[in-house]
Amino acid sequence: MSLLELRDVEVEYRRAGRAPVRAVAGASLAVEAGQVVGLVGETGCGKSTLARAAVGLQATTAGSVWFEGRRLLPLRRRARSRRDARLQMVFQNPFSSLNPRRRVGQQIADAMGILGLVPAGRRSARVAELLDQVGLPAIAAQRFPHQYSGGQRQRIAIARALAAEPSVIVLDEPLSSLDASAQAQVANLLKGLARELHVGLLLISHDLAIVRHIADVVAVMYLGLVVETAPTRRLWRSPMHPYTEALIEAIPRADGSGWLPEALPGEVPDPAQPPAGCRFHPRCPYAFDRCRTESPPLIDVAQGRGVACWLHSPGAEEKSPSVFATRTRAASAVGDQVDGV
Amino acid sequence: MGRQGTQALKTLLSVQGLRIRLPTAAGLVTVVDGIDYEVEAGQVFGIAGESGSGKTISVLALLGLLPDGAHVEGRAMFDGRDLLQLNRRSMRDVRGVEIAMVFQDPMTSLHPMMTIERQLTEHVRYHLGVSESKARERAVELLREVRIPDPAGALAAYPHQFSGGMRQRIAIAIALACRPRVLIADEPTTALDVTVQAGILHLLDSLRSQSGLSVLMITHDLGVMSSIADWLTVMYAGRVVESGRTGDVLGHPRHPYTAGLLAALPHPEAAEDTALRSIPGAPPSPQSRPDGCPFHPRCPYVQDSCRRDVPALASIDAGRRLACPIDPLAVAV
Repeated sequence: MSLLELRDVEVEYRRAGRAPVRAVAGASLAVEAGQVVGLVGETGCGKSTLARAAVGLQATTAGSVWFEGRRLLPLRRRARSRRDARLQMVFQNPFSSLNPRRRVGQQIADAMGILGLVPAGRRSARVAELLDQVGLPAIAAQRFPHQYSGGQRQRIAIARALAAEPSVIVLDEPLSSLDASAQAQVANLLKGLARELHVGLLLISHDLAIVRHIADVVAVMYLGLVVETAPTRRLWRSPMHPYTEALIEAIPRADGSGWLPEALPGEVPDPAQPPAGCRFHPRCPYAFDRCRTESPPLIDVAQGRGVACWLHSPGAEEKSPSVFATRTRAASAVGDQVDGV
Repeated sequence: MGRQGTQALKTLLSVQGLRIRLPTAAGLVTVVDGIDYEVEAGQVFGIAGESGSGKTISVLALLGLLPDGAHVEGRAMFDGRDLLQLNRRSMRDVRGVEIAMVFQDPMTSLHPMMTIERQLTEHVRYHLGVSESKARERAVELLREVRIPDPAGALAAYPHQFSGGMRQRIAIAIALACRPRVLIADEPTTALDVTVQAGILHLLDSLRSQSGLSVLMITHDLGVMSSIADWLTVMYAGRVVESGRTGDVLGHPRHPYTAGLLAALPHPEAAEDTALRSIPGAPPSPQSRPDGCPFHPRCPYVQDSCRRDVPALASIDAGRRLACPIDPLAVAV
């Protein structure tokens, strides 16, 4: 069994007087020790909700979360059990996730005291060790978060999570508030931590390009559902879901070639009223009749690969839609529909 | 694509020796330290740099939008006038009319409690003195131009009824309303998803090629620059370190900072499993910029002279300028 496992998780937000929103509509994921799992998707796809459900910050409506072989229950008023503290989280914005009025060392040492992991006399040595692990000098313990840049603050937040001696860390967009060079530093740090400390990482991001450099496995989410999972290299080489393909084609390349990335037509639909059939069909260039009525299940196509798309059947070859399928409409038809008006 | 048009290129905006000092608790701090550039008609001119490099402040100065107490030196010639010398009244006739601006976050740049119609017609009526019905017609036309579906219906709606990408299209429509000659776009796609970002880039590209609009584009994202900018200027710690045609600068970066920034980016065609090469350290804050070349503490090619002398921005090729006398990345011919 995996260290962290999400089985058919559904999360529904109820709203007074309006239809409930199923932010996560049945998603499964697994994180092993020392593995980096990237969860990728665009705004509103439910990835942050899934991350919060994975650590128990959000109650699930259906399905279950399993951590170290036991059912993880959503956090309530009572303190979380010590065992569950081995599941940690790092948030997007290190400007708001760190306490501005407490010294960095105090914040990192908190977990050691609360969980009784390190006796008081040895805590400062352990803080120095953790700071070193994330590439900061020991003197940082004496300072305040405002004395550090965004990238350095994110390192502090990671050190704080590591203080609880976690087996799995869930990171919600840990890189998106950072500049390019700081982003590369933190990305390399995360990959190193997974390898050296054998910690499992669930990395939530909207940026497939950066996830590719860190994650061993990638899951792509669209409108509350996981539409494709695959080892990173194979996903990148031959994205099997049309949405994954579109995501990769939309990434601009800083090579000076002047190549304009492809736009995906249309908009992400309202999750309260998802389209019938496949949720991606209104924007899919390959959609055919079946896609409009029947929702495709996530099927295993090849070893370690799953895809939810009617273009593929179990045991299918690993091929991208653009290689074998015919486009039923031009890629940018919907986006430019008002041109002809 | 509208690059390198055949018509003679005309310099529309020329910035010379722009230097900006802002008041802080510790006194005046130099945020922009002498930058020069020229924007030609019908082109996308990119200013790239990380947070704190002074790229946004440098364009706010052009529109007279700096905070009170800011000290500005240099010249910014636009149509025979120096933008830095205009009084409030004359600036009002330039800002939003001849030079318009689009900001990063369409959530905050649009007024949440005004209909799109009001936000699209108010300044048109004020600046161009047209009737209400004329302004409304123009608004529909603009929304169509930025590819908002059902433009007439959209007029009665409020910003929250649109997605982020649609809101940014509306912000662009508002900026275009008085038919400006220059559009300043400050990180216009940073808050958007990649698939939506690609749509906005296509839109800016077609506006440039169809209506000859000049775009002054500011972004930290070199991928976005690569896809749309004709010319690129890279800023670091308030100074221009390198500039030239985008293809040249990104294809063969000559400044160690540009090269370092490119190496730090995940490249879609790079081999898998290559670790990202990050630039060691962090950019200096405006209060603590080092002596000599501002990049020297992070530069792998640093020499003694770099710690002492501030490198001048010198021409190295046709249209190409570099602020690094060492030039370690020059290609041996």
